[in-house]
Amino acid sequence: MTPKERLYAAARHHPTERPPCICPGGMMNMMFREIMEASGWRWPEAHMDAHQMAGLAIALNKAGGFENYGVPFCMTVEAEAMGAEVNMGDLLAEPHITDYLLAGVDDWTQLNSLDLNRGRVKTVLQAIALLKQQNDGVPIIANITGPVSVVGSLVDISTLLKAFRKNPKTSSIFMDSIAGNLIAYGQAQLAAGADAVCLSEPSGTGEILGPKFFREYSVKYINQIMDALQPPLAMVHICGNLHSVYDLLPELHCDIFSFDSLVPIADIKAAVPEKAVMGNVNTHALGTSSPKKIAQLVRSCHRKGADIIAPACGLPTTTPLVNVQAMVAAARDVKNING
Amino acid sequence: MRSQEELLKALSDCVVDMEDELVGEVAQEYVTAGYPALDGILKGLVDGMQKAAALYEQEEYFIPELLVCSEAMYNGLEVLRPHLESAGSQEKHKVVIGVVEGDTHDIGKNLVRIMLETAGYEIYDLGRDVPLQKFVDKAKEVQADVIAMSTLMSTTMPGMKRVIEMLEEEGIRKNYKVIIGGAPISPAFANKIKADGYSANAVEAVTLVDRLLQG
Repeated sequence: MTPKERLYAAARHHPTERPPCICPGGMMNMMFREIMEASGWRWPEAHMDAHQMAGLAIALNKAGGFENYGVPFCMTVEAEAMGAEVNMGDLLAEPHITDYLLAGVDDWTQLNSLDLNRGRVKTVLQAIALLKQQNDGVPIIANITGPVSVVGSLVDISTLLKAFRKNPKTSSIFMDSIAGNLIAYGQAQLAAGADAVCLSEPSGTGEILGPKFFREYSVKYINQIMDALQPPLAMVHICGNLHSVYDLLPELHCDIFSFDSLVPIADIKAAVPEKAVMGNVNTHALGTSSPKKIAQLVRSCHRKGADIIAPACGLPTTTPLVNVQAMVAAARDVKNING
Repeated sequence: MRSQEELLKALSDCVVDMEDELVGEVAQEYVTAGYPALDGILKGLVDGMQKAAALYEQEEYFIPELLVCSEAMYNGLEVLRPHLESAGSQEKHKVVIGVVEGDTHDIGKNLVRIMLETAGYEIYDLGRDVPLQKFVDKAKEVQADVIAMSTLMSTTMPGMKRVIEMLEEEGIRKNYKVIIGGAPISPAFANKIKADGYSANAVEAVTLVDRLLQG
């Protein structure tokens, strides 16, 4: 079984001998310093160069890292393409938005539409095409930043959340426009050769929005995007505590659901029995504890029912390679009962 | 004309019920009737915000609701504050707060600021993406009692440790209580970097600061 076949099978609850071990990329960043130093391709340059971006993803996989390629390594590409200013960070700090482009939701008309032929959008598309050329059975995961998070990168998030309550009409028009841009970006990533799409939503969470707005803004637009893309494999990651929205999770249109390390796997298994459950190895532990401890965490996730082993969030750039190697090795050692 | 009692309840209700536009009129009516502004703030607006916080803890309210409530509170404060008698304002404890350098996620920090302000603390908000030295400089400048740092990103967590080291290097660590919070932060991390406290959310942050400053 190639890693791609294993991932597809696990996502569809088909028998596999053991769970895949992946890290999707995007907000769920897979890259860290040791790989940059070993390969010579470094942040921040690699965020802007397709060869370096693809090269890093391949280097990590070859070093006994995750069983997938996942680009880009941040969650600012979409907002930047629509006009936001981004500080590209450095070797250790990921890119981040420096200033909000819009004063409020009423200003949504000032946004650029996302241009597929320019800037880092183009870089990501080229990187996916380069990874596709590898043709090595390693699945390529395209990443989309969640629609509420993108809007929250363009407008001050406090202003946005107030607008959700006070100005639902304009908020919806704004969200429609963002979703349209994200769909165009996702389609281009699939056309470039992506095998799966992962949408990560750090801001549009149950914990922040509460059930009503989680449904009206997060679920609605995530579904709109996934319905339009129809990727071979759809993954959704929602950050934060989820207990206030457990009963809404089945409404998400995705094959794989991923979540924070503080969320019990058993709860998610119960909430979305028809979806594959991915997670949820603590990334702080990955960054700071021992390979032995990481192997224990992997076995614990598997025992609790994770169909796919993955970090519960983006990796810290200081993560030791030995810990990632231990994570993948431990996933290779466990046995699925249905395998 | 409404009694003071009725108007205090109306002010409180405006905050809880997210009436951020109506609250200004009620506050004006309260002032025009000649009732003391301090009561209007503490027994009206702040009372409403505390009720909103209780609803947040019960998960009736979430962050959008809390933000609109706080907007109502601030709109009311704008009307009442100019009428405060200066004798009524005693020395407040001071808190310097900000999101550490490299991170721009400030919603948690904003909520902590709102709740601490509601509880009567004087807040110096450095904003987001704050250079580490600035926490130290501002705390010295205003003779702060508390330094509060927040981050949502695991990559910027080491900055919190660095601020504490900078305070130690200058020999002024014991002058301040340092508290931290944010999604990737845990009590264990707070212990490790020798912070004085951690809180999981904005409402708890008030209890934490109260406790630290009593001790």
